[in-house]
Amino acid sequence: MLGQVIATEFLKLRRAKITWLTALGIAIGPLLGGLFMWILREPGRAERLGLIGQKARFVGQAADWPTYFALLAQMTGIVSVVLFSLVTAYVFGREYSDGTAKNMLVLPVTRAWFPVAKFLVVLVWCGLLTTVLITVGFLVGAALKLPGFSVTLAAASVGEILLVALLGYLLMPPVAWIAALGRGYLAPLGFALLTLLLGMGLAATGWGKWFPWSIVPLFAGIAGPRTETLATGSLVVVALTCAAGVAATIWLFTYADNHQ
Amino acid sequence: MTSSDTVISTAGLTKHYGDVQAVDGLDLHVRRGEIYVFLGRNGAGKTTTIRMLLGLVRPTLGRVTVLGTDIAPGATAVFSRVGCLVEAAAAYPDLTVRENLDLQRRLTGAGREAVGEAMDLLGLSGSADRRAGQLSLGNKQRLSLARALLHRPALLLLDEPANGLDPAGIIEVRRLLRRLADESGVTVFMSSHILAEVAHLADRIGIVHEGRLLQEFDYDELRARTRAYLDIGVSEADRAAGLLRERLGLDRIERTPEGGLRVFVGSDRGPEIARALVGAGLDLTRLAPAEEDLESYFMRLTGGES
Repeated sequence: MLGQVIATEFLKLRRAKITWLTALGIAIGPLLGGLFMWILREPGRAERLGLIGQKARFVGQAADWPTYFALLAQMTGIVSVVLFSLVTAYVFGREYSDGTAKNMLVLPVTRAWFPVAKFLVVLVWCGLLTTVLITVGFLVGAALKLPGFSVTLAAASVGEILLVALLGYLLMPPVAWIAALGRGYLAPLGFALLTLLLGMGLAATGWGKWFPWSIVPLFAGIAGPRTETLATGSLVVVALTCAAGVAATIWLFTYADNHQ
Repeated sequence: MTSSDTVISTAGLTKHYGDVQAVDGLDLHVRRGEIYVFLGRNGAGKTTTIRMLLGLVRPTLGRVTVLGTDIAPGATAVFSRVGCLVEAAAAYPDLTVRENLDLQRRLTGAGREAVGEAMDLLGLSGSADRRAGQLSLGNKQRLSLARALLHRPALLLLDEPANGLDPAGIIEVRRLLRRLADESGVTVFMSSHILAEVAHLADRIGIVHEGRLLQEFDYDELRARTRAYLDIGVSEADRAAGLLRERLGLDRIERTPEGGLRVFVGSDRGPEIARALVGAGLDLTRLAPAEEDLESYFMRLTGGES
């Protein structure tokens, strides 16, 4: 029956506009990265463009593939996590916003299969979004004719981006739990925004290495090499956050009263 | 009644929300193949009861057995034999009618033909490829009913099934439920606050008020429980009521909202009452024997004005 539940969870996405919106959203990351590269290549324009120019200068010294890939990984740590949260809020929250949770919970199916299948849908969706980010990244980089490309660098960078995306995905179960607890989209989106801000704020402090929502951007290198900003146990914190979120979400689906 | 005849049974079913007692010590017994209407005002505890019957809400106290299975959060296997509609109709708005029903089919293990049959049964075949989000309120309700019926359940738990339906739709659904009960032995437990619906459909009625079951009776018993009275149209109703109390010793007299009187006596006292009123110079415009209907009975039980 889990197979049918998974199949129906994918069917529920049919014609959902949000799938295209998130794909467009994630494409903004590499496009912005490309813009920075373009500005970096011409420092005169960077000055005239004010803040964007300053940010671009801060990001790297050279407009080349290694810098661009590093920037893409950092963006994955921030932009993708925001979009992943949107995806999670949609997949879990829609059952409450559309009023369908009460129908779902009275099916002759183990209730835990629904969140399990939804986490799988979110994983696949986030994987596709990351693929879009990487593909657009390559296209933009190629269009800009950035120097310094090598297959080895590309493979390592793609691996890095995928790893950051996977870590970002591991932070989604608490978002799902908030969606089920708050019965809709708003609460998880608010939660995602709050944790993003807190994560960015704490990343600059010594606590960042222990705060899950700081660990992912730090892992992506927003504050320098992760060997300097993270502790050995940082990834364990992310794993524990994920496990707690999964357990809490399954518990809610199985045991919580439904007052929809 | 043997236990195999009992499809739903609750014992001391209670649900509190803080200080609010939504359902209070409910003992229900619904028999196989009957249409049981759970009648009550808004907020009487009908929906909370249905949610507890479906394991959507855990009782504070008490026990629920549905089709021989104790309902608990993990016990979902029994739902292969239960179809339900809880509160507002809901469907995935981006999916078509057919796709919505196909989801239900896949998860209930029904055959492929079940989707078409359910659409035919509820008159949705013409809207099969319309997105649920574009349906009228009535068709959304039909879709929810089709979803509830699709896997041919032995028990239907329907919360206000007439919601959103037009008068023709109400009659159609009423006939469908009657047919399912009579021909297929499906048990229907439905909540309603529409008295006319109950009068046309119920085999058995439970009247719930402030979370408690006030009365439970077969529809045929209603006549025995309702009271006969004389419906009187008269000028100066207050004076007339006083006169009937003083001269004829009648004490069960009510004012009607229309300004008349309702005197709870047998029709044999009619001539005597007419003489007394006319003799006192009052204009008598109507004097007819009548009987309480379900509406009046319900209002009397639940403490409202009829």
